[in-house]
Amino acid sequence: MPEYQIVVCGSIVPDPLQTLEPISGPAGPALKNEMMLPAWLDPWAGHALFEAANLASKNPGSKVWLVALGPKAKLQQVMMTLAQKVPFELVALDGPAGGFTDASETAAALAEAIQAIPGLDRSRMLVFGGWESASRGTGTTMQIVGEILGITDQFQGVDEIKIEASGALRILERIEGGRHQVSLCDAPPALLGWATGNLPEPRNNPQVGMANMRTIMPALQKAKPTKVGADGLTFSSVAVPKQARDTKIVKDLPADQIAAEIVEWITNK
Amino acid sequence: MGHSPRNARNHAVSGSENPERPQMEADIVCVGFGPASGGFLTTLARGILNPDGSTAIESGVAPGMPLQVMCYERADDLGFGVSGVVTRARGIRESFPELDSAEIPMAAPVASEKILYLLDPVGASRRPALMRLADVAIRALGPVLRVKDDAMELPWTPDFLEKHGGLVLSMGQFTQWVAQQVMGTGAAQIWPGSPVGEAIIEDDGVAGIRLVDQGVAKDGKPSDGFMPGMEVRAPLTVVADGPVGPIGQQLDRAFGIPEGHHTHDWALGMKFVVDLPETCDLEPGTVLHTLGYPEPEIFGFFYVHPNRVASMGIFVPSWFDSPARTAYRYLQHWMLHPAIWRQVKGGHLRSWGAKTLQESGRRGEPRLAGNGFARIGEGSGSTNVLTNSGVDEAWTTGVILAEGVLELLKNKQPFTAENLESAYVARRRGSWVDKDGRIAERGRDGFQRGIIPGMIGMMLAGLTKGLVAMPGKPMPPHQRVKTLEEYYRGRIAPDEIRAIRKESDAKGISAHAALMERAGWPQIPFDGELLVSHQDALLIGGKVQAPAGYADHVEFLYPSDCGTCDSKICIEMCSGQAIYPGENGLPAFDREKCVHCGACLWNCASANPDDPERGRINFHAGAGGLHSAEN
Amino acid sequence: METILFLSPSEGALSKNALEALATAKQLADSLGTTFSVGLWGDAPQAAADGIASCSATKFLAVTGAEFAQSRYATDAAAAEALGRASGATIIIGPSCSRWNRVLAGVAHRLGGRADSHVTGLSASNGAPAIARWYYRQRMEGILTRTQRPWVLAVESGIAPAWDGAPGTAAVEPVACASAGVRSNVTGIEAPAADQQTIRPDAELLFVTGAGWTKKQPDGQVKTEAAQKLILDFLRLSRASLGSTKSLVDLHGEGVATLTFLNHMNQVGQTGSTPRHVKGLSTCCHGEEPHTVGWRFIGERRAISLDAGCGWARGKADVLYVADAFAVMEKVNALLAR
Ligand SMILES: Cc1cc2nc3c(=O)[nH]c(=O)nc-3n(C[C@H](O)[C@H](O)[C@H](O)COP(=O)(O)OP(=O)(O)OC[C@H]3O[C@@H](n4cnc5c(N)ncnc54)[C@H](O)[C@@H]3O)c2cc1C
Ligand SMILES: Cc1cc2nc3c(=O)[nH]c(=O)nc-3n(C[C@H](O)[C@H](O)[C@H](O)COP(=O)(O)OP(=O)(O)OC[C@H]3O[C@@H](n4cnc5c(N)ncnc54)[C@H](O)[C@@H]3O)c2cc1C
Ligand code: SF4
Ligand code: SF4
Repeated sequence: MPEYQIVVCGSIVPDPLQTLEPISGPAGPALKNEMMLPAWLDPWAGHALFEAANLASKNPGSKVWLVALGPKAKLQQVMMTLAQKVPFELVALDGPAGGFTDASETAAALAEAIQAIPGLDRSRMLVFGGWESASRGTGTTMQIVGEILGITDQFQGVDEIKIEASGALRILERIEGGRHQVSLCDAPPALLGWATGNLPEPRNNPQVGMANMRTIMPALQKAKPTKVGADGLTFSSVAVPKQARDTKIVKDLPADQIAAEIVEWITNK
Repeated sequence: MGHSPRNARNHAVSGSENPERPQMEADIVCVGFGPASGGFLTTLARGILNPDGSTAIESGVAPGMPLQVMCYERADDLGFGVSGVVTRARGIRESFPELDSAEIPMAAPVASEKILYLLDPVGASRRPALMRLADVAIRALGPVLRVKDDAMELPWTPDFLEKHGGLVLSMGQFTQWVAQQVMGTGAAQIWPGSPVGEAIIEDDGVAGIRLVDQGVAKDGKPSDGFMPGMEVRAPLTVVADGPVGPIGQQLDRAFGIPEGHHTHDWALGMKFVVDLPETCDLEPGTVLHTLGYPEPEIFGFFYVHPNRVASMGIFVPSWFDSPARTAYRYLQHWMLHPAIWRQVKGGHLRSWGAKTLQESGRRGEPRLAGNGFARIGEGSGSTNVLTNSGVDEAWTTGVILAEGVLELLKNKQPFTAENLESAYVARRRGSWVDKDGRIAERGRDGFQRGIIPGMIGMMLAGLTKGLVAMPGKPMPPHQRVKTLEEYYRGRIAPDEIRAIRKESDAKGISAHAALMERAGWPQIPFDGELLVSHQDALLIGGKVQAPAGYADHVEFLYPSDCGTCDSKICIEMCSGQAIYPGENGLPAFDREKCVHCGACLWNCASANPDDPERGRINFHAGAGGLHSAEN
Repeated sequence: METILFLSPSEGALSKNALEALATAKQLADSLGTTFSVGLWGDAPQAAADGIASCSATKFLAVTGAEFAQSRYATDAAAAEALGRASGATIIIGPSCSRWNRVLAGVAHRLGGRADSHVTGLSASNGAPAIARWYYRQRMEGILTRTQRPWVLAVESGIAPAWDGAPGTAAVEPVACASAGVRSNVTGIEAPAADQQTIRPDAELLFVTGAGWTKKQPDGQVKTEAAQKLILDFLRLSRASLGSTKSLVDLHGEGVATLTFLNHMNQVGQTGSTPRHVKGLSTCCHGEEPHTVGWRFIGERRAISLDAGCGWARGKADVLYVADAFAVMEKVNALLAR
């Protein structure tokens, strides 16, 4: 049985249900009330973490790290929920997690933190992350992490990983038209940017939480202050689009007539 | 038929039937994370660890480790609670003598206080004759009495209401901040998303708690991915689950409450958090209280946070006898009052929330401690019903308990009823919380007889420090609930009420909007900014969530009997439209809309045959609810 | 002075998305008063180059080899890197396809530049190029410039008309590229069976289904099977692409009887995809603002819902039919079948 060392990169984003508004500050754009909004682990990074834990549990001897760059106080809070989900060891970096930070700077910080994890063995290493974040939304961070670590077997939009009898990794990536591309990667190291995957969100397990806490609190305490920003970028504007249309409301029209209107509309080029 | 309530669910799948139920041991387990637990854990943490981080008090269950303290909060995250808040912050400042309010988002020192008497600008408010006379006089004397925008500013704020030197806070931001401080010390773990299902009651005491089961169907039966809730055994269980906490209720049932005590009085508080318009020049720390409108029984509050944000809302008390009293609709009418609207017009709704308050105060005090358990916070009767303040009081009861607990730990004394009595209860008796609670104790009795005797009674109790009060006998909530026909007598004919009810049942919605409009309340001019439909408030402002795999936490105990209930007040008052007329008009529950305000716990028109003090709805521990940390 | 490279993998002729990116690159070159070159890679990129021979590119560069046919990080990144270097470009523009999206940031890193993906607009003012792109899952749009070069971009589909010109014969300059150490291979494509194929990126119409299709209807019944048939019939008759709200796909995961052909890839919105179609018809949806963002990228929008307050409609659709979608879609199908 292969014993994987799975490093998951993921940070926090505002709970997607919140109303978001940009403001411009001295250091460029930022989210209004960013520190007050409830936060959660970035959804696709979350799937990556759950998939990592699943893979680790099926391959005894494997281990999962979560490398997270975010404001320490917020990270601590999110960890209290996340820690209950699956077992992992936290590597925390204390710095901004907002969407306006440049991917290359975040990637450099993450790669440095990964390189500093003691005892990592490239021949067993899988680097996981979210395909795209719900903040920056570029899908560019993980590739750079991979490049810095020298991993050129990279997969994005991943929905599934299976281990073949040969030890090769069978990976499904999302491609155009709702299809999946199937690839075989001989062996680790590999980098996978996850989409939704196929696992349901794990239940809150207080025992897992307790076990994780043994490493989470110390990791938070020694979280390294990390400066990342958007060097070289100048924003001329960041705005929530106005999208008010004049909606014509059609009530009390019989289904026949509505259907006729719709058919006319969709067949009319 | 029908008089056989279903078993409390948690028992159905607990204990020996489920050998796999995981178990864990801790030294102290705490239920709920509100201000009470905040005060408790802040104080305890400082005693468990030395300033250099080394262990000051060793764990009894994990030798060599510091004391193991776990706190479980049901909401999906810390800081999802709802409150006003303006507070004198006496206890909070004692805990943080160096406190700079700028450290806590949304906090501001109290800058000014005012009380406004609101006249009725629409003519639909049900005012007693005397009050109507007074209104006429006030309008006539308008210029002299400084009447502006249909409101009169009271010339002075009685001492007992003053919050000088206090703070305007956001409950969510304050509790988040406290949690960060506590967890930063490493001395306690506070777990959100972890509803406590029940206390483990053994040998006339409490031996710990059980978390709710996951992977169950709505009725609590195991289903996909069943995971029995963990049992956490601990020498001390601290119950801080607030006014409607299921663990507090369980203990009340198991151990009884002191003779003569009751929790008959309650209120629903509902609030908006609003971005004020650019034109608004209210200073942070401005505190405004209102009375008189939309109904004389409904009090309003308006507190200004930094950065042009305000918390504003109303309290709908149990002695407001309308069976069609949806706070949401009233809150909108209140906000539209010219004296309020003038300040907020052009602003934007940011967040919304609701929660009930236990308004029997000290008279609702349960057994504060017993073998292996202690109770703190609003559920322990700490809230001051004269001043409607509970945050600092709850905090302080937590501080007092922690001091007592540290003393017992240092002396290596066990958490027996006697030891907790002397280390905690006796301390609490000597505190300002208890003293002020006694003054307030009978302050609201007058309201049982009407709004005017109530106001007089409150003033009397406040000004004489509790020596004099207006008599009145608080009744169990169900005894107060009138039928719609009674309430609307002379205003809406019974036939018409029946027709309205029938129509709303068919649509699966409550009848209150139609009833209120029929009784003269204007329609709400929705603008998508401040005035949005109740449904949209659930989505835009409050962000209600209901994670899958948990049992429904609202349970109708005698559903078949509900057919004969004519007020159906559970439907009419539900803060989230989560209780709605289902099949045959019987109340049904939709968890995805429930904001966990707890109103349905008190708000039933029929006595529970097994326990006439209670209604026919069980309010269990549930996950989910509002996702807002600003309320 | 900027120099621009349009870059694309080639699997035969260029895709619509690639032709759109080409048009965007050409337009940017024009407005900056500069020229652009073309870089292609694949097993036989000459065909693709010939297809755009008249696009006025100054140069056609290509990496050719069987190993470059596969959609694979190692070889795609190596080819793009080599083309980037050979062109000396300061701005590299490619289409937002799965192949280019997978590698662009890595390529930028190798070239010492920076990457931006999901670009929805390119403009030039005073000789300085600026891009528009979305943040926070399409909830706010930023317009920005960068100092670092090369600036490597992926432009979204549907933001510019595809380049449309005469084919010819392009003079392709070969670019050398090594592909040692390949450890991954594409072994196939998994696609839903043809009759279950519901995602059609090139369709004119996006048909969005909400959880309402599986909910209790005014007559007290749940009609999932009828819903399933109505939707599939409509897709067959109209050749529309199928989108869905998160609630509806989530029901699937929770084991509730639901539409069997849906999965997460159909999900439209904040955490789902944001397809760009000319027209959109939403049915039985409610969804609040943050989650209807995907809808924003559809041209003409109509909705059918029982609820006049429907979040996909109010202020966001051109027409809202307050009606029973079961009844309406049945008639629509009947009309289309004729
Ligand atoms: C609208 C409104 C306005 C108010 N305004 C003011 C004001 O201006 N000033 C003031 O001083 N007071 C005010 N109050 C009162 C004040 O908010 C309360 O008195 C105070 O919050 C009580 O604190 P607590 O810690 O006892 O309980 P709570 O704040 O109720 O906290 C209890 C916690 O326990 C959790 N819980 C419950 N059951 C369980 C379970 N089974 N498992 C795990 N967790 C559980 C709850 O989710 C909650 O977080 C107001 C209240 C309301 C509703
Ligand atoms: C973290 C998170 C992320 C999310 N991300 C997304 C996202 O990316 N995309 C997304 O869409 N959602 C997302 N959501 C979910 C979102 O919040 C909404 O809950 C969801 O979009 C609403 O789904 P709906 O419109 O299908 O269903 P509902 O809200 O259930 O609406 C059903 C509608 O159907 C109508 N209806 C019923 N029967 C009929 C009929 N016969 N004819 C006509 N109308 C009928 C009803 O009137 C109702 O309005 C997310 C939620 C969370 C928590
Ligand atoms: S069902 Fe939920 S929202 Fe409704 S009254 Fe009860 S607790 Fe409040
Ligand atoms: S639960 Fe109570 S208020 Fe509601 S219908 Fe039944 S008896 Fe009436």
